[in-house]
Amino acid sequence: MVKLKKILTLRTIIATSAGLTLSSSTFVAAVQVAGFLVGDAAWLAILTGGLLCMTAALCFSELNGMIPSAAGIRLYFNHAFNDRLALTVSLLYMAVIMGVIGAESYILAEILHEAFPLISPLAWILVMFTVVTGMNIVGIRIAGWFQDAITYGLMVTLISLAVIGLAKIDFQLSAPLATGGAVNLLNAVAVGVFLFVGFEWVTPLAEEVTHSRLISRGMLLAIGILSVVYAVFTVAMTATVPRESLVNSPIPQMLFAQTILGDTGTAIMVMLTLAASITTFNAGLIGISRFVYASAREHVLPSIFSKISLRFFTPWVAVLSIFVIGVLISLLTLFSHRYLVLVNMAAAMESVIYVLAGLAVIVLRKKMPDAQRPYRIRGGYIIPAASALIFSLLALAIFTTFPRVFLYLGLGMLLSYWYVTRVVPRLKQLQRQKRASGRRRRRPVAHAEKQGD
Amino acid sequence: MATHEEIRDSLRAFQEGYNKNKKLKIMNRDWNRVVLIEANDVESKHTLILKDGELTVCEGATDNPDIIVTADSETLADLFYGDITPTEPYMNGTLIIKGSEDDIVRLDFISLMIWGE
Repeated sequence: MVKLKKILTLRTIIATSAGLTLSSSTFVAAVQVAGFLVGDAAWLAILTGGLLCMTAALCFSELNGMIPSAAGIRLYFNHAFNDRLALTVSLLYMAVIMGVIGAESYILAEILHEAFPLISPLAWILVMFTVVTGMNIVGIRIAGWFQDAITYGLMVTLISLAVIGLAKIDFQLSAPLATGGAVNLLNAVAVGVFLFVGFEWVTPLAEEVTHSRLISRGMLLAIGILSVVYAVFTVAMTATVPRESLVNSPIPQMLFAQTILGDTGTAIMVMLTLAASITTFNAGLIGISRFVYASAREHVLPSIFSKISLRFFTPWVAVLSIFVIGVLISLLTLFSHRYLVLVNMAAAMESVIYVLAGLAVIVLRKKMPDAQRPYRIRGGYIIPAASALIFSLLALAIFTTFPRVFLYLGLGMLLSYWYVTRVVPRLKQLQRQKRASGRRRRRPVAHAEKQGD
Repeated sequence: MATHEEIRDSLRAFQEGYNKNKKLKIMNRDWNRVVLIEANDVESKHTLILKDGELTVCEGATDNPDIIVTADSETLADLFYGDITPTEPYMNGTLIIKGSEDDIVRLDFISLMIWGE
């Protein structure tokens, strides 16, 4: 049997799935979760959020097993619904992820500014974007072992800091189930979903593993481990630092570390957040730049974005464009301080994606009943239907609590739909006209150039 | 449906395009990879070997490739003749490529440099 030379292990799959999720902005979301609840029930909302994300992870596992491709949601939704919807959603999703990168860079800049007050956040934003863009253009990839070390190290340190914090105040869980009402809990769970945003980004690795079961196991384990880490850390943060200070800060984890370990705590947290953010940041930029490049190759975006560096073999126009847009979003966030809008938009968008993933499982089972499914969710339609329903409710909860998020995402969806239905057909037609030469008669570019064509 | 011979001819056209592009050869001199090309509707397997910047095409399969490219015969022939870009069939699921993400992207870059947009 033919076997690929390179294969990834479960350890790296878990580290990649959890590592893409762990970032600076997740701590902001964690205290937002706690902010909705009156007692120490943040753990309950986080674990519930994790459990719900597991239903989505099961849907992704079935889809990924059936269609193992780096194209991910684009391909799942294309098969299940149609290319127009798949493209509209993918374009909007990428735009929202750009927003997350903006929020992430803003928060990281605030953290670094706190540690080194002489350097302004603006300078940090420019330095970080320049470094990561440089890495992307030169083609430097963060090695698997480095991703493993950072992710596992980060999770162990977060748990250790939480235990130290809880021990210092001799913590007693006094109101573990006090949520302040079902609506509060629903909102907390909805924002809690953001804590796991990106776990499914591991699915493009489906083409690098021996069996797609590894991806599903990795995703589920990553969500499980993260649920526990976030739950313990959030309870520790809210137990040791006044909730109002945490909720009103873009850097709650720094306040917590400073409170329990003083300057040493600050130094540890700066290092941790920097490591976590760089991996998320880098992965985000790679993901988006490749999406932009692939879209240009597919003639969905202007062909200029498919230009590649002859020296480094990287899509430099796509990378530089993302640098410019990313910096603009970061600057807007820096001046408006509206990072929470971006966090909530990402939570809502992610919920929409999970709804579609649940529906895609159901539709594909009807549309392609005989297709090979190395992994099939047990219990018939119960889990995919429940996942679609639950995430619809969560998206609705975010939209009603933050109407601005609904407005922005709605406008984004309309714009994306307009682009897909009006601009993309023109781009494709232009390309068809350019490519009018007959099949099997084309000559290589180098040859044609030599001939003066 | 394309025949095994048509796929072989398309791979030769691809190889010819590659060999005429000196820049491409220089850029790939450190990228040594074995690529298995297989059709899923006719009996047709080929192996592309990239070594020290040189590309060779062999008939038949290999046991441990770095990348496996699978599609129907027509798509494979179109692809290696440069009549379509790999991204289009990849995005609609007609073309399946197994291998590391970086290698898959590199393969697409090579196709872009040989056949243009």
